[in-house]
Amino acid sequence: MDDIKVNQNPKLGSMDRPNSYIGRSLPRENAKKHLEGGGQFVDDLVLPRMLHVAFLRSPFAHAEIKSINVEEAKKSPGVFDVYTAKEIDEYCTPWVGTLGHLGEMRSPEQTPLAKKIARWQGEPIAVVIANNRAQAEDALELIEVDWEEKDAQVDMETALDDNAVVIHPELGSNLFWTRTVNQGDVNQAFETSHAVVQTTLDFARHTGVTLESRGIVADWNKSEGKITIYHNGQAPHMMQHIIAKHLEVNEGLVRIVSRDVGGSFGIKVHVYPDEMAVAAISKKLGRPIKFIADRLESFTTDIHARCHKISGKLGVDKEGKILAMEINDLSGIGPFSMYPRTSAIETNQVLNLSGAPYVIPNYKAVGTVVFQNKTPMCQYRAVGHPIAVAITEALIDKAANKIDIGLSEIRKKNFIPDNAYPNKTPSGVPLEDLSHEASMDKLLTMMNIQDIEKEKIANLDKNVLCGYGVISMCEVTNPSPLFYGVGGAHISSQDGASIRLEGSGAIHLSSSITEQGQGTEAIMKQIAADQLGVSMDSVRVTLGDTDATPYGGGTWASRGAGIGGEAVLKAARILKDNILDIAAAIMQTDKNSLDVENNTVIRKNGGEGITLQQLAETVYYRGHELPKGTNPELLATASFLIEGIPFVFTNSAMGCKVSIDQDTGIIKIDKFWAVEDCGTQINPKLVEEQIRGGVIQGIGGALFEECVYDDQGNMQNATMADYLVPMAYEMPDIIVDHVTTNSGRSIIGAKGAGEAGTGGAPAVIMNAVNNALKHHGTEVLSQPITPEKILRALGKI
Amino acid sequence: MKAPDFSYFEAQNIEDAIKYKSEDDEAVILAGGQSLLPALNMRLSSPSCLIDISKINNLNEIKIEGDFINIGALATHSDVMNNDLVHEKLPCLVDILKMVAHAAIRNKGTHGGSIAYGDPAAELPAFAVAMNAEIVLSGLSGQRIVNAKDFYLGLFETDLKSDEILIAIRYPLLDVNQHLIFDEVCRRHGDYAMAGLMAKVELDQSKINNLDLVYFATGDKPNVGQNTAKLVIDDGYDYEKLKKSLASEIDFAGDLNSSSEMKLHLATILINKILNKLER
Ligand SMILES: Cc1cc2nc3c(=O)[nH]c(=O)nc-3n(C[C@H](O)[C@H](O)[C@H](O)COP(=O)(O)OP(=O)(O)OC[C@H]3O[C@@H](n4cnc5c(N)ncnc54)[C@H](O)[C@@H]3O)c2cc1C
Repeated sequence: MDDIKVNQNPKLGSMDRPNSYIGRSLPRENAKKHLEGGGQFVDDLVLPRMLHVAFLRSPFAHAEIKSINVEEAKKSPGVFDVYTAKEIDEYCTPWVGTLGHLGEMRSPEQTPLAKKIARWQGEPIAVVIANNRAQAEDALELIEVDWEEKDAQVDMETALDDNAVVIHPELGSNLFWTRTVNQGDVNQAFETSHAVVQTTLDFARHTGVTLESRGIVADWNKSEGKITIYHNGQAPHMMQHIIAKHLEVNEGLVRIVSRDVGGSFGIKVHVYPDEMAVAAISKKLGRPIKFIADRLESFTTDIHARCHKISGKLGVDKEGKILAMEINDLSGIGPFSMYPRTSAIETNQVLNLSGAPYVIPNYKAVGTVVFQNKTPMCQYRAVGHPIAVAITEALIDKAANKIDIGLSEIRKKNFIPDNAYPNKTPSGVPLEDLSHEASMDKLLTMMNIQDIEKEKIANLDKNVLCGYGVISMCEVTNPSPLFYGVGGAHISSQDGASIRLEGSGAIHLSSSITEQGQGTEAIMKQIAADQLGVSMDSVRVTLGDTDATPYGGGTWASRGAGIGGEAVLKAARILKDNILDIAAAIMQTDKNSLDVENNTVIRKNGGEGITLQQLAETVYYRGHELPKGTNPELLATASFLIEGIPFVFTNSAMGCKVSIDQDTGIIKIDKFWAVEDCGTQINPKLVEEQIRGGVIQGIGGALFEECVYDDQGNMQNATMADYLVPMAYEMPDIIVDHVTTNSGRSIIGAKGAGEAGTGGAPAVIMNAVNNALKHHGTEVLSQPITPEKILRALGKI
Repeated sequence: MKAPDFSYFEAQNIEDAIKYKSEDDEAVILAGGQSLLPALNMRLSSPSCLIDISKINNLNEIKIEGDFINIGALATHSDVMNNDLVHEKLPCLVDILKMVAHAAIRNKGTHGGSIAYGDPAAELPAFAVAMNAEIVLSGLSGQRIVNAKDFYLGLFETDLKSDEILIAIRYPLLDVNQHLIFDEVCRRHGDYAMAGLMAKVELDQSKINNLDLVYFATGDKPNVGQNTAKLVIDDGYDYEKLKKSLASEIDFAGDLNSSSEMKLHLATILINKILNKLER
């Protein structure tokens, strides 16, 4: 792949100029740092007087703590103290995972340690503080708990039954939240439809499996009244507010530092009880406290995702035009709604996004979210998308098969045309700047479906079946305040960038966006250097420190480039303008005759310029040489926020070809194709990394990943040996290409690109599998699609 | 996930290790640590002492002894895969080891460790049984040799006595008409299989003269399909018939990735795969 892409955004100027970095696949520097082991992760941090903790976690999904005796544990070597809810609650107020803008949500108060009743296997109930983690773990074994096991409500499908175990009796039932969307009249439309198809899909729970597990070091400094939290999270300013609120510390005296973070995928944007306990302990003891989740803890306490059962119905006319779509989604979220984003958003996205690429005049969607005794569930990469896209695309394939038209043909017939934006999803969410038609056309030329069809037909009676699928989807990116802020959450939808010219001529940039390995730093540098006219190596970036960066939302919902990047662009333009003002004064010339190239203010008409270093030295050290009244401002700050619409959507078209071994049930993805329209690509290689990585996570959901529970609510596969994530051998060739429709909401025109792969891959893989199985009159409707499910569908076992 | 406290003894020779082990019931042998250390970190066991045998000289030798190829207990999976003698005399073992875990694990995990541990899902115990290997054990009263068939008693249970150390595995060299063919079905490359089969085939021209079928990842130990092998010799591959026979002689135990029915099915089709691989 060529590493230079023509930047198609006229607002950014031509690429044929020095220092034009936006649109180029430049290598990112921090990759080298990590390769050399030079990263600084939370666990690398060692502070004087630091203590370590280990949590005693409930071994049961639902049980009452009759009594708890920590005396023996306190005597264990190296142990400083052992706390239960009683001690921690004095230092941390409870929280509730509800928001105000999405209708009634009902979730009870949650505290760092469970008080009387443990409600999922893995919920923390006591904590040992010791000189090191091993000693803390030794002492855990000495804590005596008198448990009384209770019946557990494990299955979400029976959670609302009359004889269900009500997990929070004060709520009267296990219902957390429900929403109905009703546009037009689906019943009437189904009656007049030429064909109506239905299906029901199941999605297992899975989780994010970050390479670096969750970690926190909390350091309360009593004399300053200040707490510093080193945390591998995604949203430092959100965390700052949370810590201030629940530890009752002045928010200005809370500092959150998130240096290198080894993957997050949404897992690390939530408030976890064990992390809150650590902050509370630090405040109680006035000492730094470290907690690093081990892999077992990650599996039973990191948020899980998906866990949906969704049924759908689609009506089409003779030509295959969609007349109506109806879905009914049920989701189980564990015993609490997560704080502060709530566990309603995944279902909300399912209702918002189903059918989004298509014109669907009549649409009804019902979502029901219930409590159950499993690990809490919440937003993970591509929130809700895999479910919305899979149900939509499965129904469309079924309709195409029923009226016997092609899989791409039926989609093309129903797309909202590329020239018909702005428009709306069937659920009524505004859409703009999308390109389903162009993206599908591009996908089809890449895939060559005729050849795949030939291979498929040739294989019909062989042991290895061949199948393929194509899908289209919308991806939520760059959210506005209408996502969380409007509901009362202190989660900034605005991001800031601050950029300065230093005495050495170096550029320093700080942004409220954070880096978890996706290359944030690299694109920030590219934007700043491009806009200022300086070399890449003259820009240094600081991220992830509430004491050092502008205020803002952080990294989630694919917002870094589109929102944070625009703030950098704006700040860089202001700084450049200031530089030119000062240079014009020094050089005694008209500002418009000057520009900045290669770290030098040049005269456009030729003649000697001055370097940024010379300019900075003059301003900082010999300011008396400046003409009187010159504004010496070499620091610029800007912010950006999406206004007027809830989200900036991205769209993708994806295809894949699979082979299924009928003897073993093993599915091989032979090839995967993705066309993405994320507007301006600041660094095409990083965009493609996002797409490919996302697709791999989608393959995980489709074929491998599942948090397996027994019927008592015990997780059965909480190790990396038993919880299967796709690895190198399971990764197919993924061919990526692009259509570019810039977002009209910003100068930079970038939309997000981080989640489409994860959102779309499960749908297209499932469609491809069922395309292959069709000849045998069978299908698999539950994910992950395991070899055993294939063999059962084929009647082999 | 930190191991409980234990003491550590680095054995310089086999005698020391045996002596130490016989004096402490709760001490365990540490070889490559690839199975033992994860179990310790998960606090699944808390031994008093780890007797590290990995520094003992010459225990990783691979050599020909008469009609046997002798693999020292400490030869790592990588040592074995890269050994010229193995490539020449027992090339199938190289292919088998490619399916054992991943490179980093194979660089530490030992041949003897895998045989001694006796994980029913592991490749090597079944391989040893199919090959009719001799397992060389050394204890307080000297050396003894146990046939692999008699070594595996039950789930992670072997004939290894508490004072004994496994020091080598002796594989009889294959005649030109003997073949060891293997296949397995895994959800991911490098994982323990859902079911796997080691088949030792003796051919007379193109006719199967003798057949040993040894399964792994199917039950509590390497499972021998003796009657089924006879049926294959007599009647060739008949899915229903072989499946019935396997069901009657092996107690298939399901796991997270495959139910017992699934394992039975895979065990049956593996016979077909093996036969197809046989160059006749
Ligand atoms: C992620 C992962 C995947 C794996 N996948 C596979 C796979 O697909 N197939 C497979 O077969 N294996 C697999 N393994 C296991 C690997 O092959 C191990 O290395 C092997 O089973 C044990 O060898 P070791 O030298 O590491 O033994 P250790 O872990 O050191 O010891 C294992 C046990 O055997 C005992 N022991 C070791 N050596 C001796 C001896 N000489 N005498 C007496 N007792 C002894 C120990 O006391 C201990 O109880 C995997 C391991 C991991 C971590």
